[in-house]
Amino acid sequence: MSSDGDAEALLGILDGLVARARVGEGVEAYGIDEAQLTIKAYDGEVEALSSARTRGVGIRVLRDARFGYAWTSDLSDTALAETLEAARRNASATGPDEANVLPEPLPPTDVGSLDDPRFAEVTPEYKVALALRLEAAVRRAGGAIKGVDSASYGDDRATVGIASSTGIRAATTRCDTYVVVEALAEAEGATTSAYGLDTARVAQDLDVDGAAAEAVRRALLVLGGRKPETDRIPVVFDPFATAEVLGVLAGALTAEAVQKGRSLFAGKVGQAIGAERLTLVDDGTLPGGLSTMPWDDEGVPTSRTLLMEGGVLRGYLHNSHTAARDGTTSTSTGNASRAGFRSPPGVAPSNLHLLPGEAPPEALLADVGNGFYCQRLMGLHSGANPVTGEFSVGVNGVMVRGGVLAEPVREATIAGTLPAMLLGVAAVGSDLRWLPFGGGLGGLTLVVEGMTLAGA
Amino acid sequence: MLDDEIVRAVLARALDSGAEFAEIYAEQRDGRSVRLDDGRVEDLVSGRDVGAGIRVLRGQQTAYAFTNLLTLEALLEAAGVAAAGLPGSRMATVADLRTVTPERQHLAARDPREADGPALAEVVRRAEDAARSVDAAVRQVTVLWADSAQDVFITNSEGHRSTERRVRTRLVAQVVAARDGLIQTGMDAPGAAVGLELLDAHPPQDVGRRAAERAVAMLDSVPAPAGELTVVLAPGGGGVLFHEACGHGMEADIVAKGASVYGGRQGEAIGSELVSGVDDATLPGSWGSMGLDDEGTPAQRTVLFDRGVCTDYMSDRLRAAKLAIPRSGNARRQSYAHLPIPRMTNSFILPGESDPAEIVRSVKRGLYCDDLGGGQVDPASGDFVFGVSMAHMIEDGELTSLVRGANLVGDGPTVLARIDAVGTDFDQRQGVCGKDGQGVPAALGNPTLRISRITVGGTA
Repeated sequence: MSSDGDAEALLGILDGLVARARVGEGVEAYGIDEAQLTIKAYDGEVEALSSARTRGVGIRVLRDARFGYAWTSDLSDTALAETLEAARRNASATGPDEANVLPEPLPPTDVGSLDDPRFAEVTPEYKVALALRLEAAVRRAGGAIKGVDSASYGDDRATVGIASSTGIRAATTRCDTYVVVEALAEAEGATTSAYGLDTARVAQDLDVDGAAAEAVRRALLVLGGRKPETDRIPVVFDPFATAEVLGVLAGALTAEAVQKGRSLFAGKVGQAIGAERLTLVDDGTLPGGLSTMPWDDEGVPTSRTLLMEGGVLRGYLHNSHTAARDGTTSTSTGNASRAGFRSPPGVAPSNLHLLPGEAPPEALLADVGNGFYCQRLMGLHSGANPVTGEFSVGVNGVMVRGGVLAEPVREATIAGTLPAMLLGVAAVGSDLRWLPFGGGLGGLTLVVEGMTLAGA
Repeated sequence: MLDDEIVRAVLARALDSGAEFAEIYAEQRDGRSVRLDDGRVEDLVSGRDVGAGIRVLRGQQTAYAFTNLLTLEALLEAAGVAAAGLPGSRMATVADLRTVTPERQHLAARDPREADGPALAEVVRRAEDAARSVDAAVRQVTVLWADSAQDVFITNSEGHRSTERRVRTRLVAQVVAARDGLIQTGMDAPGAAVGLELLDAHPPQDVGRRAAERAVAMLDSVPAPAGELTVVLAPGGGGVLFHEACGHGMEADIVAKGASVYGGRQGEAIGSELVSGVDDATLPGSWGSMGLDDEGTPAQRTVLFDRGVCTDYMSDRLRAAKLAIPRSGNARRQSYAHLPIPRMTNSFILPGESDPAEIVRSVKRGLYCDDLGGGQVDPASGDFVFGVSMAHMIEDGELTSLVRGANLVGDGPTVLARIDAVGTDFDQRQGVCGKDGQGVPAALGNPTLRISRITVGGTA
């Protein structure tokens, strides 16, 4: 099926709902029609193949400054009509808020086509072969690599549409593919695991061997780890770890968190919150980005938002509600985000990343001399608090001695505060790496001075 | 939910090529949530999910397809897609269908739908009012009510046919308190496989007040110490540690892949002889309870370790076959869009024989963990990290100052081995457990437990 055909079919359903809007009522209909395939390989065979087609519509009704939301996976006329009625009923029980608005239509950002005709050219047999090759490539590494926890190929082609009584009407189709593998390494009775992955628009462009090599390298790197001595030393975050920290910061950089008193960055616009070498950008328009779209989940054009520039906080991420709540000072940055058709829009980053520096990771390690190279963060969601700024998480990784990687470390923690970490950034690597964590997060090697590594 | 005629046709189509076994899992789920935030009922969301997943198996191989439509045509198409995933010639036929009735059903006394939107808005407002009245330091209150009524229909080519209705309700209050630049959070989140009667056991004002009292109390906390300490886990507050660090490693899929430290250890001591752990899906109305699992196997009580000795793993059809162990009734899935995998239901450390007060008195210097926050574990090594959301110092056998920012670092086997006192008390908590991208309701629980030594990562 063509992108246009899928989009028109979905828009037809959404139009039908919007047409039923009553006088004095705003109606917004969001729909998705998605096909997904996952293939898991294990022990040289296809362990599981899962094929899915998901359709659903979420309806937002606005009346008297109150929003109500209802959704359905049943797209029959009867179910859609009942869902619209449910959204109306739900709107009658919520609290009014003058900032509750349905956005006005604006021209979408030109991000080119997110669909690719080559997607449909790939046969199921080719996809199965990719998953098998991924698993075999890890097993072939041999030595301390004892197995594969999981090896998967996945793809997704989704048409997303939105229409509203303010005149928004848009639909677009996007395809994505990925491979991800988790390698198991074992030595002296201790086991470590680590994953490697690659993403691409179409399966033809996936680097299967690269993903396998990444998992192997990362699993072996921390094998045989011991508890370190407790010390206050520079910590070098690898791109995966940095991306995870960005994910925590993202939660504090939404205007929703700021307005509700749940952000350590509230009231800090214009202030230096990080080292001068830090520039943080959210860019929903990024060519080839994992979360790139012409418009956000409310139909507002996506944009490039400078959040931190040279260490100075420049602003927050907005959807139309948070922008309206700020009054005339803000407009939506195109960061409305939903967890599918079952939820009303919140605020979330799109493609969030630090601007890369100039030094490759090896040069950063050489400069650090003695420190700790952190490969994996554990317990981040409880240990890194975007409200209080407290940061205390479990880690594994490798000690850095004389500028090179030395003995591996496990069962350790690093602690500090997020503000101190941002201000303590001593170097930013050139190795920008995009990871599909909660949208797209761009991590890179990051050196942070003066953190406490605690072991025995 | 589906007529026998449709079932037979769809299962036959699913067995068209090389599958040994075919199954239909169909469900209808009505979900509703009411969220109060920032002083106002912000969202009232309701929805209905309908769909069916067709699964075919051959040996350890699985193919799966699902659809939103429960028409014969859509189901046959999905069955065809699944069948194509296991190419070959016909190996099995559809047996005569017979109805299996769950021995225990967890029925809601009061259907959540008896409360309309405005009534639920009142519930979350009452929780908020109670939270705000605790102290002027309360800055933000979020309250969430969620209910779901799920009708499950399972049938398979071996002739199984069953239906079950599962109702769950939950009330969650989260409070942010601030004073002199220090910000702290508190939470209370009861849930159960019951209807509106949840609110009789947990009145909204109590839920709001408890969350606020925790947040406000933590404003008087001091930064946690770092280093190895004796740790006492409060009843209920430590259950998540065993869920993550032991429970997941005793799920048969992880065992079967050689990715668990507890694999191949049946009959061996894996912990202190004071400690026994079970997974029990039969507890009446408990958050993780069910009558049948998501493959139709009756829910059970499974002993995971008995006085320190590894006994049984939690299994589903596939992994039970692979490990040659019985099916334990632990196959669960988030929805028809997901494959069943072995999961915990209500996983508890059982009470022992020590007086809880005496356990605290026995500690010269240590950390008393009232509540753990989230955690993460690497099942391969058993290594874990848990945030401690609320804790007290223990000094000379007395609880003294509250401490914040602590986390516990260790590994499952070592912690199980170092439990040297088990209290007679017990409490549980409810959560949503995530694994392989699927979230399912799971309860966790424990008595007062003393761990002789564990690494505490602190900020002091």
